[in-house]
Amino acid sequence: MTADAFVLLWPPFLVAAVLVGIHTYFGLQVLARNVVFVDLALAQIAALGATVAFMLGHPVSSPASYGYSLLFALCAAMLLATTRNWSGRISQEAMIGVIYIVAAAAGFLMVEKAPQGTEHIKQVLTGNILTAGIEQLVWVAPLYAVIGAVLWSARRKLARVEQGWRGWAWDFLFYACFGVVVTSSVALAGVLLVFSFLIIPATVGILYADGMRRLAIGWAVGLVATVAGLALSYAADLPTGSTLVCVFGAALAVAALLRVLLRASAHHRRLGVRTGRIALTGILGVSGLWFAFAPRADQPLIDSVEAAVPGVREVYMSARETDIYREAVHYAERYRGEAERLNEKEARSRWQGDALSDIDVRRLSSYVQSYNEMRKGEEFVQREVRSRARERWRWEIGGGLLVAGALIFPWRRRAAMKPSPNTVIQQ
Amino acid sequence: MALCSAVRVSVLWRTAVMAVFAACAGVAQGAFPIVATTADLKSLAESIGGDKVHVVALVPPNTDPEEYQPKPQDLARLKSAQMVLRVGLDFDLWLDRLVPQAGNPAIRRGGPGHVDASFGITLLDVRGAQVGPVGGHAHGSGNPHYWLDPANAEMITASIFEALVRLDPANAQHYQRQRMMFLDMLSRRIESWQRALAPVQGRPLIAYHNNWSYFARRFRLNIAGYIEPRPGVPPTPAHLAGLIKLAQAQQIKAVVRQPHEPQKNAEFVAAKSGAVIVLLAASVGAVPQARDYVSLFDYNVAALAAALQ
Repeated sequence: MTADAFVLLWPPFLVAAVLVGIHTYFGLQVLARNVVFVDLALAQIAALGATVAFMLGHPVSSPASYGYSLLFALCAAMLLATTRNWSGRISQEAMIGVIYIVAAAAGFLMVEKAPQGTEHIKQVLTGNILTAGIEQLVWVAPLYAVIGAVLWSARRKLARVEQGWRGWAWDFLFYACFGVVVTSSVALAGVLLVFSFLIIPATVGILYADGMRRLAIGWAVGLVATVAGLALSYAADLPTGSTLVCVFGAALAVAALLRVLLRASAHHRRLGVRTGRIALTGILGVSGLWFAFAPRADQPLIDSVEAAVPGVREVYMSARETDIYREAVHYAERYRGEAERLNEKEARSRWQGDALSDIDVRRLSSYVQSYNEMRKGEEFVQREVRSRARERWRWEIGGGLLVAGALIFPWRRRAAMKPSPNTVIQQ
Repeated sequence: MALCSAVRVSVLWRTAVMAVFAACAGVAQGAFPIVATTADLKSLAESIGGDKVHVVALVPPNTDPEEYQPKPQDLARLKSAQMVLRVGLDFDLWLDRLVPQAGNPAIRRGGPGHVDASFGITLLDVRGAQVGPVGGHAHGSGNPHYWLDPANAEMITASIFEALVRLDPANAQHYQRQRMMFLDMLSRRIESWQRALAPVQGRPLIAYHNNWSYFARRFRLNIAGYIEPRPGVPPTPAHLAGLIKLAQAQQIKAVVRQPHEPQKNAEFVAAKSGAVIVLLAASVGAVPQARDYVSLFDYNVAALAAALQ
């Protein structure tokens, strides 16, 4: 399985690494300029360009479609370069937001009458990093290398906030390069993942360092999160794009927490620990009260613990209840298997052996539905047995959670009243 | 002279325009108005009704009917309809929000003009039956793509015919005649399609989505796996790896997808397994060649036969 995973995942990893490389740099720039959502606006405008190409008869993902996307992105770059001069009373982000929604709506209006309509827009904005490979790498890597070189050589000019036409020209260069990168990246990885590549590694870099070290840290975090995300999506059988976004988010959370623990002063660390203890007390307290007053309702905390450690149920279930529960689990699984066996039999009969008649198929479907109802019945028994046991122990478990919360709470300790040597006791 | 010529042109033009309007009005006045949710049901209704019915399909071609967003004009169409024809099985749930808003009691659920074409169909992939990640179609009580078995046209047209005879008894004989002719022609075509696909019976292929159960059953096709096992959920890496292994082990030659389904995932699997991508139409109008219900199968059968032989 490891070999299969490696064969499947190393090309997407290389593509993701290239994307992390260029987007981390852009991320540092957009965070410095305070235009975080310009990435989404450019992606939507590029999608609008692809939509125009589609309406003109060019196939989706064709060179013409890419060309139109780039053209629209460059026009958007001109507009965005101009918005900085308008942002006197209104923030540039607000105007970027308006550009985003208008581009999105315009795209939908345009394809409304076309065959495939919104499915086309979905395809343009929803890449799949899993299917990106060497064929995409051979053109993306050199393109991004050139753009990176251009931006690196102009970094001092770009860092300065110039006014007038020079300022506009440097802004246009930045947004034009960004537009090219976003147009290409979104087609490979989708809007959400590209946004993650853009913001999260750069944010971690800013949290820990200044100058060039931010970039290095961002790259390192991006690569580690990519490896972790790809591995997790394979091991846990999860969609790759969404898993990567969640792992990047978790990476930011961990980085922020570590920064508090490692770099904060003693006072801030104590404050952080105190806050954590208060939060945990709150969770235990609310869970305890909820368990005591609504033992039959969903109990997120207790249910999570039971999912991780099923043996916890036996703490509050009697021996008889445990037997009933286990029997219900066993029969539920058996009925599930029977339904699956019948479905496989029907599916096989479509092409192998004698075809089942309509009457046979109806009879088989009836059995499948019966097994499903029986399985649901066993699942009901599991829930009911568990709920009754919880009801019996509601006050003990609810109270226990409250007590645990109280023990964790950081009560203030009053200092003992000791008289100092200089204190004069008045008689 | 020039003035007479101009007047003649003007009269001719006005006459032509009036003739066009008169023709449209004639169709509108005499024809029984039906609204169908999909182009497939529209085609079947027209096969029975002929020129006695005027059928409009709400979902445009190549649009996923399950994610269709109704428009204001759809309300106007439903207001003036005497029959609404739906796929059912939770396939066109959006219709349930639209019909009450139209304020037309004849086409409300349970009303005389509300026809659920799934009535009487032998359903496959019954709800919750496909446990695990294989072939799940998370709908109502079965896979809703039943029109893709041409033999089911008999039951579908029976439902339409029964409603038409009840609501438009004056043309009952016409509908009966049309239906008999259509089913007679269709049964001969089914035989020819089965003969065309007989050489490739049992050959394994991969489909993008679980639309093809009924089609596979009628033409004895072996759909060995699905790229998108759960509707709307992208395939996971483990699933794709398993699918590629399966394709290599069973020497799968074709990956079937519809025009509106994402091509990247299908191309990825096809490239890794050496299969070709076959574009099939799951609905009338999905490809230009699928102009009506019969040509839908003409196209699909020809495309598959060419790819698998």
